[in-house]
Amino acid sequence: MIGIIDYGAGNISSVIHACGRVGEDAESFSEPSLAVGYDRLILPGVGSFRMAMEQLNDLGWPEAIGAHVKSCKPLLGICLGMQLLFDEGDEDGPTLGLGFISGKVGILQTKASHRIPHVGWNSLNSTQTHPIMEGVKDHIDFYFVHSYQCVPVSDENVLARCDYGGKFVASVAKGSVVGMQFHPEKSQPAGLRILQNFAEWDGQC
Amino acid sequence: MLKKRVIPVLLISRDRMVKGKQFSEFRDTGRPNSAVRIYSSQDTDELVFLDIEANQGNDHSHESLISVIRSAAEECFMPLAAGGGIDSLDKVRQLILAGADKVVITTAAVLNPDLIFQTAKKFGSQCVVAGIDYRSGHDGARVWIKSGSVETDLDPVSHACALVKLGAGEIFLNSIDRDGMMNGYDLDMADKITEAVSVPVIVCGGAGNFMHLAEAFTKTDISAVACASLFHFGDNSPIRARSYLRNLDIPMRVLK
Amino acid sequence: MLEKIPVLKCCTKCNLPETYETIEFDIKGVCNICRSAEARDDNTDWGERKKLLDALIEKHRGKAAYDLIIPFSGGKDSTFQLLYLMREYKIKPLVVRFNHGFMRDTIAENNLRTFKKLGVDVIEFQPNWHVVKKLMLESFKRKTDFCWHCHTGIYSYPLRVALMYQVPLVFWGEAQADITGYYDHLNDEIEYEDDKKFNMIRTLGITAEDMHDMINTPEDPVDVRDLTPYTFPPVKDLMKMRYCSVPLGSFIPWDYKNNTEEIKRELGWKADQLEGVPDELNPHGEKIECFMQGTRDYIKFIKRGYSRVSQISAFDVRSGRLSTEDAVKLGAEFDGQKPPSLEIFLEYMGLTEEEFNTIVKPMAIPPYDHKFDAKGDAVKTWDFDKFYREDNRPK
Repeated sequence: MIGIIDYGAGNISSVIHACGRVGEDAESFSEPSLAVGYDRLILPGVGSFRMAMEQLNDLGWPEAIGAHVKSCKPLLGICLGMQLLFDEGDEDGPTLGLGFISGKVGILQTKASHRIPHVGWNSLNSTQTHPIMEGVKDHIDFYFVHSYQCVPVSDENVLARCDYGGKFVASVAKGSVVGMQFHPEKSQPAGLRILQNFAEWDGQC
Repeated sequence: MLKKRVIPVLLISRDRMVKGKQFSEFRDTGRPNSAVRIYSSQDTDELVFLDIEANQGNDHSHESLISVIRSAAEECFMPLAAGGGIDSLDKVRQLILAGADKVVITTAAVLNPDLIFQTAKKFGSQCVVAGIDYRSGHDGARVWIKSGSVETDLDPVSHACALVKLGAGEIFLNSIDRDGMMNGYDLDMADKITEAVSVPVIVCGGAGNFMHLAEAFTKTDISAVACASLFHFGDNSPIRARSYLRNLDIPMRVLK
Repeated sequence: MLEKIPVLKCCTKCNLPETYETIEFDIKGVCNICRSAEARDDNTDWGERKKLLDALIEKHRGKAAYDLIIPFSGGKDSTFQLLYLMREYKIKPLVVRFNHGFMRDTIAENNLRTFKKLGVDVIEFQPNWHVVKKLMLESFKRKTDFCWHCHTGIYSYPLRVALMYQVPLVFWGEAQADITGYYDHLNDEIEYEDDKKFNMIRTLGITAEDMHDMINTPEDPVDVRDLTPYTFPPVKDLMKMRYCSVPLGSFIPWDYKNNTEEIKRELGWKADQLEGVPDELNPHGEKIECFMQGTRDYIKFIKRGYSRVSQISAFDVRSGRLSTEDAVKLGAEFDGQKPPSLEIFLEYMGLTEEEFNTIVKPMAIPPYDHKFDAKGDAVKTWDFDKFYREDNRPK
C-alpha cells in the first residue's frame, strides 16, 4: 500500500487516483505515526517551502518520514515535495528542509526572456539510469509548474535535468529517496508509467 | 525546451457545458463529464473550467463546479484549472482539494485584489491564474467583470501588471468581443500583455481554425491558447491541433 | 489536365497534404504515417506477432458461446479478417454487422456468398432510421461529418454484443496506425480498440449522452434508449470479462491488395464502382460498402483539398506500387468531383446545396481555400437508381 502524506499542502486526490489508475492501492493519511504501515510513501506539495516545512514540523512528520527512509523504504517527493527533500530552501528567507539530499532550493535560474513560473510541458535529459525511469524516453514531455529549483551538491544525486533557458535539475535520487520536480500524476501517460515504476521499485538501485 | 499549450475551455452553466458568442447566445454543448472523458482520451495539455452561473446569483453553482472538478480529477491525469465566482480563500481551497491545480480569479481580482495576494501566499503563485475579460471601447479597451456584465474603468495592461505584482502566476486574457466569433484572437492585446508582464499568458476568445492558433504563437509571446468554439463546432480536436502546429515548427508536447 | 489546388504542403513520399488529420512532416518532408509504415515493414517482428496471435486465439478457444466476435461490414478488410481467422484457426466466430443503412447491392451479394461459403453465425443490427437522420443532421451541422452514427455504432455495438454473449475476444481488421498518426508502429505496440480510442477518434468529440441531449427536443422527442447502439458499453463490465479488442492488422502484415486478391479467389468477392474514383484506380474495392461514400469524400475535399483518389494513391506509394509523381497527377486530376449521392444526402437532410456549402466551407482546414465548381461532376455508379430515396426538403 502506498501512503500519501497529507499535511495540508498538496493536491493529494490526483495522486491517489493516479496510483489507482496504474492498479496500485494508495491512500492518504495525516497521522505521522501511521507511516510505518506503508511500503512506500509519496510526499506531494504545492505552495511555499517555508509554510510546508512549518506544517510538517508542527505535525511531527520529519521523524516519521526519516524513519521510513532509514529503513530503505521508497519515498517519492513530487514538485514542492521534491524540494522539501533537500537541506534548505530560501523562499521567504532560509528554511531547513528534510535533509535527505544535500543541496539547496532557490529561485529558478533562467534567461530574462523566459517567463516565471515555469508552467507547461517540458522534457527531461536523463543523466543516469534508474528503475523509476524505466521506459521513459528523453524526448517525452512532463508537466512542470514551479518557480523554484533544486541544486544538489552532488551530480550523483541527479537523475535528469530539464532545459528552460538553462538546465535545472528535474529529478533526483539517493538511496530509497527519489524526487520529481514535474507532476507525474498530471503527465499522462508517461507520468503514470513513472508511478507504476515507483510502485514496483524496492528502494534499491 | 518548454512547449506551447492548447487548452480547451469548458464553460459550465447549470451542470451543462455551453458556448456562446460575445458572452451571450449560449448553446448547449453537452455534459462536462463527457468532455473530460474525450479530452482525457486525447491526452490534452490542460483543461480550464469556468462557471458562468456564479456571478448570476446562483448559489449552487460553486458546488456544481466542485463536483465537476472532482469527477474530472478521478478520470483524467492532466492539469485542471477552475474559475468562476471565486471570491474567498475557502472556495479556492475547496477547488484545490477537489483536484484543481489552479484557480482562475477574474471578478474578485478587481473587487478584492487582496484575494490574489492571499491565494498566492497560501497556495503558491503557480496556483493563481488572474482572469482578465475585456471589451474595446471609445477610449480603448476596458476590463469587464461578472461574466462580462459590468464595466470597470481599468485598462487590461495596467490591470495585468498590478495582478502579477500581487502574485498571479499566469494571466488568462479573454476578449469578449472576439468570443465565439471564430475570426481569430486579438493579437494586438495579447502582444501588449505579454510585453508588459513576465508571467505566462494564455490568450482566449476568437479561435476558429488552427491557423488562428498558429498566428497567436508566431506573432506574440503567448504561452498558451485557450479554445472553446474551435473544438465544439468543427472537425477539430486537440490532437489534430498539435500535429498542425508542429508542422509549422511550433514546439508542441511530445507524448511518446 | 486540371491543376492541383495550389499551396498545400504535401508529403514528399505519399503526397498526402498538410490538411490530412494528424499528419506531421519530418525534415525531409516525409510524413509520420509513411515513417510509421517504414518502421512497420523494417522493424516489426511478424514472427513474434504471429505467436502472440496464436496464443490469443488458443487462450479463448472454446471458452465461451463463441471463440470470438468479428465486427463485419462486408468491405475488403472485414471480409479478409473473417476469411483469415477461419482458415488459419478454424474458429467459431460470431459475425456482428452494424448496418449503417447505406449498404449497396454488391456488398449484400458478397456477404451472402461469404457467410454461406464459410459457415458462420451472423447478427446484423440496423438502427432506427428516424433517429439516424437526426444524428446525421446534428453531427453534420456541428462537425461537418454526418457519419457520427456510423463511427460510434460500428465501434461500440460489437462490444455490446460481446458483453451480451460474454465473448471477450473481438477481432477488427486494419490497424489505425496504417491510416493516421493517432497510433503508429514506432514503439512495437499492439493497438487496442478500447474506450480510449473510441473517445479519442470515433465520437468526433460528442458522446451518445450528449448527442441525445442535442437531438431531443420537446417538439420532437427522442427516447434515450435510441442512443444505446452508439454508446460505448460500461468499461467496468468489459474489464470484468477481461475483454481483448484488437485489430488483426497488429498481428499480421496488412497488404490490402493481396488481401483482396485472396477474398476474390477464395470467396468470389467482387469489387464495385466508387463515386468519384475511376474503376481502374480501385480494383481492390476500397470503401465500396456505403453509397454515401462519395458525399463523405466530397466534404473532405471541400475542407481539406484532397480526397479518395489521393488516399488510395498514398497506400499504393507506401506499398511500392505507385510513384510519388503519379500520385500527384492522379490526385490533381480526379479528386474533388461533386458526387451524385450529394443529392440523396440533401434530400434526406432537407437541405439545399447552398446551405450545405455554407455549413462546410467555413470548416475548411487552413490554408486550404475551396473553390466550388472547379472540378466538375462525378459519374453515377451503376446502382445509383437502387439507392433509397427520401425527399425531406421543404416544398
